[in-house]
Amino acid sequence: MQSTVLVITLVLMIAVALPFVKAVRSAGADGAPGNAEPRRNKLIWALVAAGVVITVASLREWPHAIAAGDDVVQVNATGGQWYWEIDTPEIPVGRTVVFNLHTKDVNHGFGVVNSSGRLLFQTQAMPGYVNKVQYVFDEPGDYRVLCLEFCGVAHHDMIDEFTVVAN
Amino acid sequence: MADVKAEPHTGAVKFSMLIAGAVFALMMVIGLVMRAAQGNLIELEAPFFYQLLSVHGAGMVGTAGLSGAAVMWYFVGRYVPLSARMYWAFIALFLLGVVFILTAIFIGRYGGGWTFLFPLPAISGEAWEPWAAALFMLGYVSIGVGFLLYHLAVGYPIMKHYGGFARALGWHVGFGGADPADAPPPAIVAAAAVTIFNTIGIIVGAAVLVASLVHLLVPGFAVDALLAKNMIFFFGHVFINASIYMAVIAVYEIVPEYTGRPWKTSRVFVLAWTAILLFVMAVYPHHLLQDVVMPPWALVLGQVVSYLSGIPLLAVTAFSLCVYLHGSKMRWDLASSLLVLAVAGWSVGTVPAIIDGMISVNKIMHNTQWVPGHFHIYLLLGVVAMSFGFMAWLVRGTKASESGMSGLDRMAFGAYALGAAGFALMFLISGAMSVPRRWAVHLPEWVLQDRIATAFAVLVVVSTLVFVIKYAVRLGRAPG
Repeated sequence: MQSTVLVITLVLMIAVALPFVKAVRSAGADGAPGNAEPRRNKLIWALVAAGVVITVASLREWPHAIAAGDDVVQVNATGGQWYWEIDTPEIPVGRTVVFNLHTKDVNHGFGVVNSSGRLLFQTQAMPGYVNKVQYVFDEPGDYRVLCLEFCGVAHHDMIDEFTVVAN
Repeated sequence: MADVKAEPHTGAVKFSMLIAGAVFALMMVIGLVMRAAQGNLIELEAPFFYQLLSVHGAGMVGTAGLSGAAVMWYFVGRYVPLSARMYWAFIALFLLGVVFILTAIFIGRYGGGWTFLFPLPAISGEAWEPWAAALFMLGYVSIGVGFLLYHLAVGYPIMKHYGGFARALGWHVGFGGADPADAPPPAIVAAAAVTIFNTIGIIVGAAVLVASLVHLLVPGFAVDALLAKNMIFFFGHVFINASIYMAVIAVYEIVPEYTGRPWKTSRVFVLAWTAILLFVMAVYPHHLLQDVVMPPWALVLGQVVSYLSGIPLLAVTAFSLCVYLHGSKMRWDLASSLLVLAVAGWSVGTVPAIIDGMISVNKIMHNTQWVPGHFHIYLLLGVVAMSFGFMAWLVRGTKASESGMSGLDRMAFGAYALGAAGFALMFLISGAMSVPRRWAVHLPEWVLQDRIATAFAVLVVVSTLVFVIKYAVRLGRAPG
């Protein structure tokens, strides 16, 4: 997904830059600007319409939805300066897993990456609160946990692992 | 509406921009050092890296605020009389804050980041003493008080001259059907909006700073971490946005000198600035999209307003600039080139920001290097470029031989644009590769793009030094 996001971003960035390139190239040649308001209005409404579509499409399924039920695997993870405690070292593949995030001291970020180093999901660990995040692992293997919220001078050492195992 | 042609405090503004230019250059050198350390090109102890990270963040944001304030002061001073003493009081409090922050970081070894995220300043793992954290936050308080004085000094004369903030914001034109010819100039509309939202932001920031200070002194004093986080990000988001929305006044006031076409306050301009006033304050939950204990409506608000915030910029400021440029008799020199680059860079930077503001994307991009990717576009190719453009304009030559772009100007401009774009792109690519932000030590597979970014950073630093040294050399020669 990250690669798709990057490509879409770069294409859109070029699209935004192009009118500036065109305007700069046309500057210096004498000419009246004309009435640009109809074009501006069209642009505004086009952006609003695109925004409605993007919003509905991206939020139709709530990204932070948390499942309940007996078949959901509950995992408690706790961050501290500068370590993780994960109470379930082996997590079953193909099951809905809910991570309950705690912290013993400051804010931490619980980011899970796969064996290729791709970030799969994350949530924050915050004093006084339990943040929940849900995920279904498709592949067995070793997964790393990285801290994604700056938490002090050994923030970068806050790495742990857990294993996803076949049923 | 008849405008007062007051004399801007050119000397004070030039002094501010000299400080701003020098600090920008120094902060960029620190940024270069950090990227080189992540790329294993030099060795830095991790605690010192995080001290540099803290000074880089606080220094860039604070200096962006200072340069934006100088721009706004200069141009608002064209329309309403301003008090030079208030401006110097602002500068004095700002510099006092800088001394506190530098002492906290380099003597007290504070390395808790510019965001002072509660309760990290008080729980350092013995990396720094509580007094250092307190001094760091007192530095913010001093700068914040300076900015409150500044906004009082700008806001009150505007209110007095234009008959209240509603008229200064042009609402009689935007909502009351009055003739746009009766509207205040764009600089005043922008200054009124920024004064309102930045004052509110700083007051919220002051409240959470005081709470954090009390917590340092009395650890039993409980502060709700979620509330503190909301307040910190509200303050931080509003403040950095205020910097760029103050600096864009340079575009409204200077570009017309080059195109020969005045930047007018139209009805759509008024509506856009009213939207900006609301959006800048409403959008901050997009920093908290992974704090799932937030109410869902707040997270949806963060995503939706994040998208909407791009519309006034793209459809009004950027669109208008392109229209004004199109077919104009534009004169290109370092100032005009940097100002146009700044609006283009700012506009382009909305794309990765809006995309990261989507909750589903944020789940895999938040706190990766994607985030510094988008805000370095805003900063390097936005507010900093505007500041350098303003500086170049302040010391522009009056002789024919000094107009236009010299060979050195062309090289520095090209190097800056290329360096800044490449530097930010490396962050975006690293973000897409899931490289975490704010890590002193990088894994071997992340080092290549760190090294490429370091090379781009060298271009940025060298071109910045050209801009700043040229400004310093020409200072005092130009009428301003």
